[in-house]
Amino acid sequence: MNRYLPVLKIIGLLSFVLFIFLPLIQMTLLSFVVTLAKPDADVGSFTLDNYSTIMIDPNLRSAFVNSIAYVLINICITVPVAIPAAYAFSRMSFLGDKHLFFAFIAFRITPPVVLTLPIFQLFSAIGIVNSVFGIALAHCLFNLPIAIWILQGFISAIPKEMDEATFLDGYSRPRFIWKFLLPQIAPGIAVTAFFCFMFSWVEVVFARILTTTNGKPISMAINALFGFQTDIGLVMAVTVASMVPGAVLLFAMRNHLSRGFKIGQV
Amino acid sequence: MKDQNNTGWVFVLPAMLILGFVGLIPLITVINYSFFDIFILESRFWVGLEWYGGIISSGRFWASFGRSTLFSVLVLVIQIPLGIAIALCIPRRKFWVGIALAVVALPLLVPWNMIPSLWLALLNPDTGILGRAMTYIGWSSDWKLSISLTWWAIIAMDVWHWTSLVVILCYSALTTIPPSYYQAAAIDGASPLQVFRHIQLPKLYHVLLMAILLRFMDSFMIYTEAFPINAGGPHNATMFLAVDLGEEIKAFNYGPSAARSVLYFLIVLSVAWMFTKAQGKLDNGQSS
Repeated sequence: MNRYLPVLKIIGLLSFVLFIFLPLIQMTLLSFVVTLAKPDADVGSFTLDNYSTIMIDPNLRSAFVNSIAYVLINICITVPVAIPAAYAFSRMSFLGDKHLFFAFIAFRITPPVVLTLPIFQLFSAIGIVNSVFGIALAHCLFNLPIAIWILQGFISAIPKEMDEATFLDGYSRPRFIWKFLLPQIAPGIAVTAFFCFMFSWVEVVFARILTTTNGKPISMAINALFGFQTDIGLVMAVTVASMVPGAVLLFAMRNHLSRGFKIGQV
Repeated sequence: MKDQNNTGWVFVLPAMLILGFVGLIPLITVINYSFFDIFILESRFWVGLEWYGGIISSGRFWASFGRSTLFSVLVLVIQIPLGIAIALCIPRRKFWVGIALAVVALPLLVPWNMIPSLWLALLNPDTGILGRAMTYIGWSSDWKLSISLTWWAIIAMDVWHWTSLVVILCYSALTTIPPSYYQAAAIDGASPLQVFRHIQLPKLYHVLLMAILLRFMDSFMIYTEAFPINAGGPHNATMFLAVDLGEEIKAFNYGPSAARSVLYFLIVLSVAWMFTKAQGKLDNGQSS
């Protein structure tokens, strides 16, 4: 049994990877095929038109720009706010800290569809619907708790003696965080930013309700392609293209991915 | 030991303000609406608990509730053990660890509204890889007409989409085990099963609790992915809780949809509360 275990593990992993790849292969294959009858090409033949359409179509192009914009704004809000909070949860004990942590988690697990209507009203009252800023802010609802959780794990991994040594040298907490903690948890910040990017990029419920006329992100631009005659090849090509930025980041971050999400003795 | 003082509140204040704005204020608004009959927002009539009574006494709500519960249970029963197993299968060599995790995480990058489309394309009997393979081996039935096959299609899709998260969570917990534990186990001649039971599994408890919480709630309130697969059919057999709510919101039934939202949030709260209790038990069990 022990002898065969490594082989079994590899077989297990490879079959899971195959399962992961199957829909992705299907998607990629379809993206290179003509799926809607055109005068100059038969249905089912190979084509690169689907990809060139992405470059030409102004709606799709602006959708990519919008998606990148709101994700970046979201990261710029989430990370600076999450760092001090994560530090507090990791290093300090204050009245109600555990309850607050779970209150944050409760917001993460609140289904977005529950809050769509009031968030739409609230955001239209202050005039940030149909703008990338509105989506970025709404996505804080689930990204902020996750960011605090990931960063908390990274900060807890740093020995507490480091804090104490710098306090003895006369550093205040904010200065300590800025000068010593941030360089130490740089990979953690990158992982946090990546997960914020990932959960925000693919989200559709808030993205749909907050962008009725303008500022549509890529997921909504794909939605708009569905109609009476859907060019499924184009849909798949846009999906492939929408995964490219994430995949590049994913492979750049691959060695740090597993280092977040540590739950120590909080 | 942690510092015992309340300056921590200053550090969490910005996060609280943002979550208060995008979370708490909308929540209070929803609670407020749920007691009114609202035709247009300017004119509203107090109806008290009427909407709640209507939802609680409707068979449709409980049917959806039952379906969502069953779906979540199936999802957890498959994804949690599978996630642990795959995390254990991740190779030891650092080079392969990164590659394996990155590949496994790929489904998380697909926009949620495209996930049903991918699976519909895959299962298409004329053009899909899986659909054609099933036709080829003579196992072709129109799965959309079958309740159980539609369920399995949605479950397969959810397993595909979210098991990666469980894998990443579990793997990150496994990396916290010091190598000396494994060496000690090897000296004692422990079998792989014993190593798992006594060394790896205890390290996973905390992270598994979180994985179960996230997966339970997200699958319980599955919205974007489930509906397009078979439009809630056949015979409403895949109408889940969040789909019902989505329909009410689309119909602009402010009052009933708000009451429904509040009910769902109460479910969220009670689940989070149970999670807190379990977490507390785990912490006490480990320190004693």
